[in-house]
Amino acid sequence: MAKRIVIDPVTRIEGHAKISIFLDDAGQVSDAEFHVVEFRGFEKFCEGRPFSEMPAITARICGICPVSHLLASAKAGDAIMAVAIPPAADKLRRLMNLGQIVQSHALSFFHLSAPDFVLGWDAPPSKRNVFGLIAADPELARSGIRLRQFGQEIIEALGGKKIHPAWAVPGGVRSGLSEEGNARIRQRLPEAFATAEAALALFLKALESHKEEALIFGNFQSLFMGLVAPDGSWEHHGGCLRFTDSTGSVIADQVEPSRYLEFLGESVQEASYLKTPYFKALGLPGGMYRVGPLARLNVCERIGTPRADAELRAFKQMGRGAVTSSFLYHYARLIEIIAGLELIERALEDPDLASEDLRADAGVNSLHGVGASEAPRGTLFHDYTVDRSGLLKKVNLIVATGHNNLAMNRTVAQIARHYVQGEDIPEPVLNRIEHGIRCYDPCLSCSTHAAGQMPMRIRLVGPRGNVLREVVRG
Amino acid sequence: MDSHLLVIGYGNTLRRDDGVGPRVAARVEELRLPGVLTMACPQLTPELADPVSQAGAVVFVDASVEQRGPVRLRRLDPSGSSQILAHAADPRILLALARDAFGRAPQAWMLTIPAKELGFGERLSRPASLGLRDAVRAVRALHRRLPGRRRPRPA
Repeated sequence: MAKRIVIDPVTRIEGHAKISIFLDDAGQVSDAEFHVVEFRGFEKFCEGRPFSEMPAITARICGICPVSHLLASAKAGDAIMAVAIPPAADKLRRLMNLGQIVQSHALSFFHLSAPDFVLGWDAPPSKRNVFGLIAADPELARSGIRLRQFGQEIIEALGGKKIHPAWAVPGGVRSGLSEEGNARIRQRLPEAFATAEAALALFLKALESHKEEALIFGNFQSLFMGLVAPDGSWEHHGGCLRFTDSTGSVIADQVEPSRYLEFLGESVQEASYLKTPYFKALGLPGGMYRVGPLARLNVCERIGTPRADAELRAFKQMGRGAVTSSFLYHYARLIEIIAGLELIERALEDPDLASEDLRADAGVNSLHGVGASEAPRGTLFHDYTVDRSGLLKKVNLIVATGHNNLAMNRTVAQIARHYVQGEDIPEPVLNRIEHGIRCYDPCLSCSTHAAGQMPMRIRLVGPRGNVLREVVRG
Repeated sequence: MDSHLLVIGYGNTLRRDDGVGPRVAARVEELRLPGVLTMACPQLTPELADPVSQAGAVVFVDASVEQRGPVRLRRLDPSGSSQILAHAADPRILLALARDAFGRAPQAWMLTIPAKELGFGERLSRPASLGLRDAVRAVRALHRRLPGRRRPRPA
């Protein structure tokens, strides 16, 4: 008789979700689903608002990655105004996005994922968290918190506050970077580099004893999507879309983000508010693709900074064509922290950051605008349709956690097939399944535009839909 | 370590009464009290542990849907639990993080304000509006009681 296991709630991710694991008649895992069970509906209630308000409104989607929404929304507004923003504004937006990537990746690695590597899968759950990490390696934990603080300070130096800065606007930004702010960021860079390098060394050492996880935690063929520059190098706030497959072959390149709907379809899953995008030409399920740090490093040819490029070369050696293990999202995240720090260091030398020419002004010149940016977790689209007065008639948001939805399901199924034997789910197995989700660092506040912390539930379900076992945490 | 009083107001300013905590922080900031720093944020995040550890005392200000009647100020100790689940923390966990990661948890208070309306919008309900006024008074009263209150505002 087929059965289903449910994990609900999933811990150490942002938001509230559950996992269902389906067993077949032989008691073997046949499938798995990651459900997002909260709903807020930003797309609907933003209708009727002026497009110029959208950066400030959509930044409220998430207290963790507001900057990503702020920037993508401002870009959609640029498109509606049909303006080219001043170069200094673009550089400043990029600097803020780099600060966002550094702070978000630092939180994901040190706070949410490192406890598993450092303390071990079998450590008691009450210890397997940042406090356990503090007890085991206080300096590592402290420096991780400070690295996140560093990224937040960049955001604050530009936007005036760490969370929800109403700074990026359609047409540009409100203010430049002060000399004082520049000096403050510069002063903290050496510590940030040291922390990132230490984290990288820690992960590479941990990888030696986590070869099984690298083989099992989301290791499968899929497509990858991310922004790249015109020369194929790493991008985070400009450029065009590139899709590659698992062999590393480019299957679509230099796609203007405004054309995303020609390439991506969206389906819905029963029992989840998380949308399921797929690569249209391959349909479902063949059109599954991944976004975020792993994808960005797979689709780019180089980063363009020395330390990060050296690591990128080592990273690419881990795959045949593309790196296909989602466990290596962690590695990719750390490489992106180093890239971010190098690019921040470079940007601080640019006198344009203090420019006063920061904003283009115009009315509604296009009734449709798409803004795309690389959020820490992956490509973020804001797609607005407005009337002649600039009031929103339609809003479509596609966020990283949605793009990765199919891959997260596949990851959970792969881990469950390996570790789940029968109806019993011991705690270390539960944690491994949850970690499969944590590899993607999903943000459910963004993906359903829902608020709240993220406890998790896992359910084991039989072939006729009967729930055999349920584990609730959080 | 400094002797300043740190006031952290948190909540979502687009969900009516839930935003009363950040508003209290903003009002206190306008008073420019000597030796007082304020922070307004949507939720408590781990990196706040560092400034919390450096404060002489800290007041967390939040809306409470369970609470009826006047604002409530109570002492807060670091959490005994080491459970931390997601990107955000509660005040007691943040105090524990300050103590364990940065070596010090200051004396702390939780100031809660009754919340009645949590729908979309920025307008406070009457109970929350009155609570805002009383909460600012409570912070001022606490500030008067604390040592070092005549020190200049930290840079």
